[in-house]
Amino acid sequence: MIPAAVGDVSLVVAVLFSLLGLLAAVAAWYSRDARYIQMAKRAALVSFLGTLAAFAALEWALLSDDFSVIYVASNSTRANPTWVKFATLWAALEGSILLWALFQTLYTWLAGRRMRDYWISPVALGTLFVIQLFFLVNVLFVINPFIVLPHPPSDGPGPNPLLQNHWMMAVHPILMYLGFVGLSVPFAYAIAAMWTRRYQTWVTETKWWLIIAWGFLTAAIYAGGWWSYEVLGWGGYWGWDPVENASFIPWLLATAFLHTAMVQERRGLFRTWNFALVTLAFAATVFGTFLTRSGVIESVHAFAGGPVGPIFLSFLLVILAVGFGLLGRVSSEVRDVGAVQPLSREGLLLFGALVLVTMAFVVILGTLFPLLVEAFNGAKVSVGAPFFNQLFVPLGYLLLLLMGLGPVLPWRRAEPETLRVVVWMAIALVLGTALGLVVGWTLWVSLTVGFVLFNLVALGWLSFGPALRRARATGASPLKTFFSQFAHSHRRFGGYTVHLGVIVAALAISFSQSYRLDVQKTLDIGQKWNVVGRDIVVHKLRLVREPYRDSVVADVEVSGLGVAHPRLNYYRSSQTPFASPAVTYTWLKDYYLVLQAFDQEKGSWVTLRLVVTPLVLWLWISAGIIIFGTLLILWPTAAPVAGSEVSREAAI
Amino acid sequence: MRAKYLIGFLIILAAIGYLAWGGLGKSLVYYVLPSEYADNPAKYAGKRVRLGGLVKQGSVHFNPKTLELKFVVTDGVVDIPVEHTGTPPELFKDNQGVVVEGHFEGNVFKGDNLLIKHSESYQAPRKGEYTPDEVRKLLKEAK
Repeated sequence: MIPAAVGDVSLVVAVLFSLLGLLAAVAAWYSRDARYIQMAKRAALVSFLGTLAAFAALEWALLSDDFSVIYVASNSTRANPTWVKFATLWAALEGSILLWALFQTLYTWLAGRRMRDYWISPVALGTLFVIQLFFLVNVLFVINPFIVLPHPPSDGPGPNPLLQNHWMMAVHPILMYLGFVGLSVPFAYAIAAMWTRRYQTWVTETKWWLIIAWGFLTAAIYAGGWWSYEVLGWGGYWGWDPVENASFIPWLLATAFLHTAMVQERRGLFRTWNFALVTLAFAATVFGTFLTRSGVIESVHAFAGGPVGPIFLSFLLVILAVGFGLLGRVSSEVRDVGAVQPLSREGLLLFGALVLVTMAFVVILGTLFPLLVEAFNGAKVSVGAPFFNQLFVPLGYLLLLLMGLGPVLPWRRAEPETLRVVVWMAIALVLGTALGLVVGWTLWVSLTVGFVLFNLVALGWLSFGPALRRARATGASPLKTFFSQFAHSHRRFGGYTVHLGVIVAALAISFSQSYRLDVQKTLDIGQKWNVVGRDIVVHKLRLVREPYRDSVVADVEVSGLGVAHPRLNYYRSSQTPFASPAVTYTWLKDYYLVLQAFDQEKGSWVTLRLVVTPLVLWLWISAGIIIFGTLLILWPTAAPVAGSEVSREAAI
Repeated sequence: MRAKYLIGFLIILAAIGYLAWGGLGKSLVYYVLPSEYADNPAKYAGKRVRLGGLVKQGSVHFNPKTLELKFVVTDGVVDIPVEHTGTPPELFKDNQGVVVEGHFEGNVFKGDNLLIKHSESYQAPRKGEYTPDEVRKLLKEAK
């Protein structure tokens, strides 16, 4: 009761101060008075604190089992452990939109702190206030989690068991929203840039927001894949499920924008592209939410329909209309001066961005096609993984090619000196592919190995070449020179590190998708099963009782790898059991065991499913490499001149 | 110079378009009920299909040693025999809503993925007394 009142009042405060902030931003624009910007910034802080209080109120209700609050009554249950109760806040629609609103208000406040001028600031802040108002008004009026039930139940059903099965599910949505919301800041600046006709600086000013958002999106997609692998029990990490696609589309577009933004920063080109790409990337985050939250598709995320589908669709259309409407108005002014040589770094960056945009459209097409077919002839269809794979394999190789070549080529035009390293890269490509074919790998896997070597030569040359040349000239130790260069330009090396991570991921994906063993067998307790060169024995079957679930656990020994514990969990809230696979990682292969069934009378036999997949561990390692690289890019430059934003930006 | 790259770009675009169109046609997975299949079996020959329906009363045969599972999927009008390899999911039983993914071989449906469509509020229909529309509604509402 009390938490609900606190939550509602806090939300009202947040909405009112967002409105106040919006009005202050409008006033700042018309009066050109910087005091109004100060006012808008303060309003942003208050509405963030208001949303934080609403968030705290809902957590309070969840943790104190207050079933008079509708969100708690429909999504929580008494017996759950505390961390599950805490994470239940973002396990259903209302709470997750509240979390989104919380991050949006936080980012508005943080982004506002850096704004000073009275040209861009009022429009950028105003745009951010409009975005956060959209979420806050929805939480307050359309999908309010704080509605008080006149007859509270004594207990609730609890969240979807799939979401309680792994701690990763508590982390994945937070990462995803931090990524989604992060894209709103570059979008708001882009709107401001088009509105005020100052087309150049917004890219530099929002560069860090973009990289942070990209890092969170990447981490979130990996977290989702990891969850899928460790929880769902089908032995895969990516199934081209509409939900996965919904997170992948903004990532592809943000990656494309990240690369073309670099060109605008360095050479002032691709302004039109950047306005279009940032609009599409931000719109894609709302599109993903529409897709997953409106019930048009079936998934774990598809919470009961409700009115949010049309509302999000309208918001999506507004974003696209505003972004492209403004771009249409100023398009003649933003046209690039100077031509782009196709065989230059900017030429290949543009080409790479086009490949990424194409990938995004392939995903959109594959995701929406079933809806189109059903609308036209009523047939119910789904688009299978083969469609996506067929297109992503060639596009992926194209991307690997451009990824190696782009950074090697200099800006403006290709120079003869770079030809030598390109020849070495080509040799590595041919040798790698030939080696793969000799070993007996499939053509596609061999080609991936070739492209991995191709990229490694490029990255090696880019990383160590300058140090070696300099060491030769100065006579210093090459290693020392390398480390001093690394420390001095860690941002450049951060970019290379991210590319290295992508290459490792490509290798892991290629092998794990091509070579996979999936077998099932029914074993008596103690019976030996010899498979893939290992002996598998089920020693024991036991029942584990926990307050919120019962589990049947099999103790399975895999020779040389120890004992694994695949289990079936029976949640109180569901009649369906949930299999919790046991994964044993080794450097080259994963042993993935699922308890499929067991003898319910005497416990004398079990049915096991064994999936052996190569290099999956390296996929998770690649996540670590990419995140490390992103942190290297974001790491502040050593000893910036105190208080001088300008010199820091210039040094980059 | 510009025209040359434009042509190259268009060729790539055309190739992708061709792949996309062909790929869509081939990798569409149709979702049908037994009576919808019976209306036009030729349409689904050699294609991947998701077959929805209820497990017919008394039709389940499972051998835990060989993991061979045989049962009949029905929507009250048409019956289709299904062969599947693998353990049936926990809630697999008579009159349970199921969706099987696989393909037709003659009159037999060879499944490779079996999903339970279980509704917490659903009451098992009395023997045989349901129509395809009711089955469709049940499968849609179930999780």
